[in-house]
Amino acid sequence: MPMYQVKPIYRREMEIDLPTCMYKLPNIHSQQGNSCTSEHALQNGEVDPAVKALEARQDEIMKKLYELKAAVEGLAKTVTTPDADLDLTVSSSLSPQSSSSTTFKGTTDLDTLLGKDLGALRDIVINANPAQPPLTLLVLHSLLCQRYRVLSTVHVHSSVASVPPQLLSCLGPRHADSYARHMFQLGFTLIWKDVPKLQMKFSVQNMCPIEGEANVARFLFKLLAPYPSDPALATLVDSWVDTAFFQLAECSAKERAAVLRALNSTLGRSPWLAGPEFSLADIASYCCVLQSGSASSAPANVQRWLKACENLGHFSPAKVLLQ
Amino acid sequence: MTKEEVRGATEEEQQAQSKKALKKQQKEAEKAAKKAEKQAKLAAEQQSTEEDDFAKDRYGVLAMVQSQQKLDRTLVRVQDLTPEKADQLIWLRARVHTSRAKGKQCFLVLRQQQFNVQALVAVGDRASKQMVKFAANITKESIVDVEALVRKVEQKIESCSQQDVELHIERIFVISQAEPRLPLQLEDAVRADGEGEEEGRATVNQDTRLDNRVIDLRTTTSQAIFRLQSGVCQLFRDTLTKKGFVEIQTPKIISAASEGGANVFTVSYFKTSAYLAQSPQLYKQMCICADFDKVFCVGPVFRAEDSNTHRHLTEFVGLDIEMAFNYHYHEVIDSITDTMVQIFKGLRDNFQTEIQTVNKQFPSEPFKFLEPTLRLEFTEAVAMLREAGVEMGDEDDLSTPNEKLLGRLVKEKYDTDFYVLDKYPLAVRPFYTMPDPSNPKYSNSYDMFMRGEEILSGAQRIHDAQLLTERALHHQIDLEKIKAYIDSFRYGAPPHGGGGIGLERVCMLYLGLHNVRQTSMFPRDPKRLTP
Repeated sequence: MPMYQVKPIYRREMEIDLPTCMYKLPNIHSQQGNSCTSEHALQNGEVDPAVKALEARQDEIMKKLYELKAAVEGLAKTVTTPDADLDLTVSSSLSPQSSSSTTFKGTTDLDTLLGKDLGALRDIVINANPAQPPLTLLVLHSLLCQRYRVLSTVHVHSSVASVPPQLLSCLGPRHADSYARHMFQLGFTLIWKDVPKLQMKFSVQNMCPIEGEANVARFLFKLLAPYPSDPALATLVDSWVDTAFFQLAECSAKERAAVLRALNSTLGRSPWLAGPEFSLADIASYCCVLQSGSASSAPANVQRWLKACENLGHFSPAKVLLQ
Repeated sequence: MTKEEVRGATEEEQQAQSKKALKKQQKEAEKAAKKAEKQAKLAAEQQSTEEDDFAKDRYGVLAMVQSQQKLDRTLVRVQDLTPEKADQLIWLRARVHTSRAKGKQCFLVLRQQQFNVQALVAVGDRASKQMVKFAANITKESIVDVEALVRKVEQKIESCSQQDVELHIERIFVISQAEPRLPLQLEDAVRADGEGEEEGRATVNQDTRLDNRVIDLRTTTSQAIFRLQSGVCQLFRDTLTKKGFVEIQTPKIISAASEGGANVFTVSYFKTSAYLAQSPQLYKQMCICADFDKVFCVGPVFRAEDSNTHRHLTEFVGLDIEMAFNYHYHEVIDSITDTMVQIFKGLRDNFQTEIQTVNKQFPSEPFKFLEPTLRLEFTEAVAMLREAGVEMGDEDDLSTPNEKLLGRLVKEKYDTDFYVLDKYPLAVRPFYTMPDPSNPKYSNSYDMFMRGEEILSGAQRIHDAQLLTERALHHQIDLEKIKAYIDSFRYGAPPHGGGGIGLERVCMLYLGLHNVRQTSMFPRDPKRLTP
């Protein structure tokens, strides 16, 4: 024993008069003896290899994160400053390699997010009213396409008489392999239908339909990147998404102006709506500002942010529809 | 001289005879006179008791129309009786749907196909008491000619299709009388499902209807069903003709059973026997090999299946399509599904009144579809069924309950009553089905479903004699029996595919009916050969 011994404060086999009216539990103290031996090994200066590996991994992750942060900051500078007017073609050719902030690289896995693979296409069905095309979802769709092999199909439901041609081609040209559905990871089926509220169906058995564009956007965004682990930040993103859909898109001009002021002051403090990272809050707000037609009358910070968003090159599907 | 004598003698005889005859005649004349007197008296009595019938020539039973004369009278259709025609005097020919006498008035409902209008005979300066009595006694379903004044009504007549006007009858003539006892009442035959039982009213069962099909077909529901069916045929022809298809006629008496041979009718054919065609497939394919490119045919198909289900008939109308394609059999699927969508759209846009009429008796949800049509793969269907708790193997065919369940699942997720299931396992398809190029377990074949029931089964066909022989041997089919079929692909055949639809089934499922006999005009099943 390298250390001095202390007398136990209490006897190990202490007799306690336990009441018999309750169930019995094993004595916690009597089990302590087992763990002592491994503690000794550690105190002898031998480091557990598992801890070593963990430490190494943490270091590595931290290093990567610092690199990422530097890259993001560099990019954010070029993107958020309106002067650095990146050519769209340049940015889109750059994005796959360099811009880590715009192509979300989370540790998301379709199996964990959408349930076990049953050997067939996982098809997300979205029912949307042609009177209100879901711009946010179209943007998210194009982001999903960069990430996964997505089979995109557009249908018109019999409850709708006719649909303008740009809505039929809103998910882009047909994939060359679309004849073989089993070759895709994810299905994105958009149905133009006479529905009062946008609706998403995925698994009929295990999931109820998700209603509202904002909620569907949240679901789809989780397939791209995990939500911020910080609950405060997650709430911030959520609240901006709700503000966008309920106040920008649906309310009166007066309320819209109020939201634009709020956007303006937030964007004065940080480059993006929810802090330093581009997030769902920006996608949703951008689409709603565009849809409400208040882009031209927006205050300065919002104008700058709109331009920064455009430079990312994700919003072309939404812009095409609005033209 | 002798001649004259003879003549004289005969004259005398004749005179004697004629004397007798005269007496007789006199007597008879007296009798007749008495009779006439009696009749005159009787008539006079009638007239005196029932006062003079001033409207005598305004009603009656007309002599049978033998085309005695050609009148230039224009007859108005019941469906054209709208408020614009108010206060016009018109002629009309229709059936007496119902009649109800009430004191000095008689209400008639006059029917023409699915349209009907209320008519009124009331004692007044145009109609006499006798005329009202006559009108009230006309048997139901008799055909009458009516001259009447169109009048607007203040309260809508809910029970008639022409709700805003009624007819004030001035003349009424019976053209053809119906027997007073009808084998079934029309109002019983159109009563909505379940309604009759609750109120203790009569319902008409399927067999009574089919035994008296002529009367059953007069009901508004039947009228609507068969008008819609005609529309399906019309739309099918129009759509395909626009797509460049050629309509062909194929023989129905054939020498060899085309598929297997278990469910084929044998007919005697002079000194040998022949079969009734189970499908025009062989001939469709031969037309493709003969460079017709895209063909369709509408014609009877015979199946000797002894199954008494709601969806099997032994003779039905097949709408068959076959087309050569360029590179991928999905070109065929696209053509067929687009044709179906055009049919559904045409029905939705042009046959809404018929659909509503049928719905009144047989309520069902409106038929929903997607454009372009949803296409799922068999593996997806299996995954969906397994998720719902069904246990089945990868290469098992869908059982009928599973088909229905899958239909419900697809409806729940995609909200469509029409979809295509693609890539069936090769094992469950006929020998001429083209195998999948990448996975030999599956095949280039597809089924189409309406409201969870299969309506079309089709595939890319093997157009290579060598492969066809191999597949036939694999299925242990006697090569001698299908020699002609295989030979037709020896002289160069384009890749092709197709499928066949049952007209009756499409109508039944589109309208959400529960028995295919309702959509077959004179159905043939194992237990029925008449009418």
